[in-house]
Amino acid sequence: MATDFWESSHYKRWIVDRATLAQARYDDLQYVDDPEYLDFLAIYFANLITKLGKKLQFRQRVIATATVFFRRFYLKNSYCETDPFTVIAACCYLAAKAEESPIHIKVIVAESRAMFSQENYNVKNFSSDNGKIAEMEFYLVDDLEGDLIVFHPYRTLLSLCRKESSTSSSNSEEGEADEGPGVGIEDGPRYWGTGEGQLELPSAALQTAWSIINDTYRSQLCLLHPPHLIAIASIYLTFILHPPARPDAAHTSDHDHANEPSPEHPTPARQPRRSSRQANQAPSHATSPKKPQDPIAFLADLNVSLPLVASIAQEIISLYTLWDQYKEDVSSEASKLARELTNSPMSSGASPLKRAGSRSESALTSVGGGGTPGAESRDDTVDPEGNYITPAFLSSVLQRMREAKLMDMAPRPVAVNKRLERTLAAG
Amino acid sequence: MLDEWSTNILHHDPMKLYRAKRDASHRSVTSKYNILGFISSGTYGRVYKAQSYGEEGTIHAIKKFKPDKEGDVVAYTGISQSAVREIALNREINHENIVALKEVILEDKSIYMVFEYAEHDFLQVIHHHSQTLRAPISHAVLKSLVYQLINGLLYLHSCHILHRDLKPANILITSKGVIKIGDLGLARLVYEPLQPLFAGDKVVVTIWYRAPELLMGAKHYTKAIDCWAVGCVMAELASLRPIFKGEEAKLDSKKNVPFQRDQLLKIFEVLGTPDEKDWPGVVDMPEYQSMKRLDHFANRLSDWCHSRIRATQGYDLLRQLFIYDPERRLTAKDALQHKWFQEEPKPTWNAFQSVPQHQIPPHRRITQDEAPSMMPAPQNTSHQGHGHIAGGVPFGQSHSKPGSSNSFASQSGGAAYASGGAPPSRKKARLG
Repeated sequence: MATDFWESSHYKRWIVDRATLAQARYDDLQYVDDPEYLDFLAIYFANLITKLGKKLQFRQRVIATATVFFRRFYLKNSYCETDPFTVIAACCYLAAKAEESPIHIKVIVAESRAMFSQENYNVKNFSSDNGKIAEMEFYLVDDLEGDLIVFHPYRTLLSLCRKESSTSSSNSEEGEADEGPGVGIEDGPRYWGTGEGQLELPSAALQTAWSIINDTYRSQLCLLHPPHLIAIASIYLTFILHPPARPDAAHTSDHDHANEPSPEHPTPARQPRRSSRQANQAPSHATSPKKPQDPIAFLADLNVSLPLVASIAQEIISLYTLWDQYKEDVSSEASKLARELTNSPMSSGASPLKRAGSRSESALTSVGGGGTPGAESRDDTVDPEGNYITPAFLSSVLQRMREAKLMDMAPRPVAVNKRLERTLAAG
Repeated sequence: MLDEWSTNILHHDPMKLYRAKRDASHRSVTSKYNILGFISSGTYGRVYKAQSYGEEGTIHAIKKFKPDKEGDVVAYTGISQSAVREIALNREINHENIVALKEVILEDKSIYMVFEYAEHDFLQVIHHHSQTLRAPISHAVLKSLVYQLINGLLYLHSCHILHRDLKPANILITSKGVIKIGDLGLARLVYEPLQPLFAGDKVVVTIWYRAPELLMGAKHYTKAIDCWAVGCVMAELASLRPIFKGEEAKLDSKKNVPFQRDQLLKIFEVLGTPDEKDWPGVVDMPEYQSMKRLDHFANRLSDWCHSRIRATQGYDLLRQLFIYDPERRLTAKDALQHKWFQEEPKPTWNAFQSVPQHQIPPHRRITQDEAPSMMPAPQNTSHQGHGHIAGGVPFGQSHSKPGSSNSFASQSGGAAYASGGAPPSRKKARLG
């Protein structure tokens, strides 16, 4: 089972179609002003899970599992009828156990409360009662139907991609390939495709692919597609940022990327700049005479549907476009990737060159909008008030939805009429 | 403006609507199942025999995890790591020789796991032969039991699951003679673990079935620990008593894992003291210095088997399951191919096929629940009281024998459904 995705609960019960997704949001749509806000909420909640997970020093896989739990829960429930913040905390609590890295409930409750009450989230009434989260965990397991083992694209990425230079950065650049002692990634065959061969990917490219996979959890992709396809789509997009055929271009564009405070590495022990340089230089200077691998051909030879991979890649790009309008902090990795991906023709290898030398969010803004660095020039990507979509704004959207729902549910006769009116108005 | 009702919900009970909806649609355990009686209890809960109201009245075993109490009030305290494991793993697996989970019901702050019912288990068969029949288990039955056990284990291992608590009480047999490995409460996935195995559970496997590398303090271990336990179970089936019946040394006040001197001696007395030639890794084991101070023994497994497993190939299988070096110990896959299973009598899918009807072990006894959380009012027919449980039927004993060390508690902790799998000294992984 651990190696056989096709026999898993994940494949059998939790890959759904778009109609199911739409149905799941039906009730929320009755109460939200703009349907697009629901997509922003999906980003917002996933960001919260990531932030909370990092605060709790979760490994990336635990964060991903918590996010999948959250998505699956809201396949069956509405935002407006629940308290997503309670659900987030319970998802993190349960995911930690499901991934065999348990933490105490008190810690979850305290960290959640501290984080959600911050000004930019503005959630004032998160309970400090452990029992509330434990109760939620209980219902959560029930709604998840006990299916707690989740597959993630990371595994595909790591089993598919062999780093070109594995000696120079054994534990810093490859995400979480460095697992428990004695239990290697090679333990078991790939569960899809031919299982043959590995892709040679520079460390920085591997890191980019890993980051893109992280980002996919901001969308509903984990409910729509098997994880190995999401991984391949992420690798595909990585090639746009790190053109495989041009080692020079890849080289110059890599270093600022590797310098990002990477989401996967909460530990400060990492030395990204140095190791990534070594890793990147190694292949271009010390490549053996053997014919270099053609990565695109490699992907084409995999036993998967490339049109489907391309459409997933397109969905990821759409996510970045949307995400670009969302602003949480001053610096955002997603925003950069969004800039690059949305501005580059899919086939072009030129876009990374545009950002050569760019080192900050503001510089990237200039690449995207053509304005001066630091200027907020993206005026086409704003909410009705002329601002970015922010967490605080989304918290208030959610609050309004919940209030409207409660008004309808309140034990008063007028509520029924109100709901009727609303429905009629909605057509 | 929001009314008071809505404000109150938003501020004090934000999940109220959800809870109301969920509770309204919930179908309770007792509306789906008729609880027939109490089977056994263990560390993590109690097990009941129940009949489904639907599907032609199929019989099930329902394991109810203990609700946690704060004082007298039952409260939500978080699901134990053990329950999470058991639910998660059972939802993924499906094999003839593994107890099947039918459904999980969460109700009144308790978790109920509904399993397929099995009439017997290895411990009960051993007791039946030692106490009632006073005769060894026949060669054909022994071989069938071991074969199916290994077959189930091979499935778990191919799924990268370590069972970590194989012992006679956890291995069930249906009335049709099919072996079902039960109790995955201590089992876990070893595929790409985020934490080293040692970090999660300091002590695994009930002491008598615990592999030498664990006793020697190994920080990392493999599927080989389950194969060692299979050897112990096979030997116990053959001799009707535990082959390595050591006394467990308890954790000290600082929860340090002590050196299991007595258990290692029991092993050495039969298998001899291991040396570097047998087991190159032994010198790196944390407890190597302690081990060197023990008396020296020679291997006499051949003698041990002579009177108990007369077949040469049976001895050879046991010898290979008891190889000290975990890397060289027989794997489940190779064990299943062993010559012993290819010579007559061949293993059968009904392990009791060759057994005369009157020699088949009796049905599982059920009793009234002394803690009647599940049971309806006492039925006047099947009143048996709780003093009658022990007899020849080893279920429902939830307490240590007098004078025994803690380890006996889990040994006698009853059937696989209920033992919770926890070796007694294991620090509970529950957090919450």
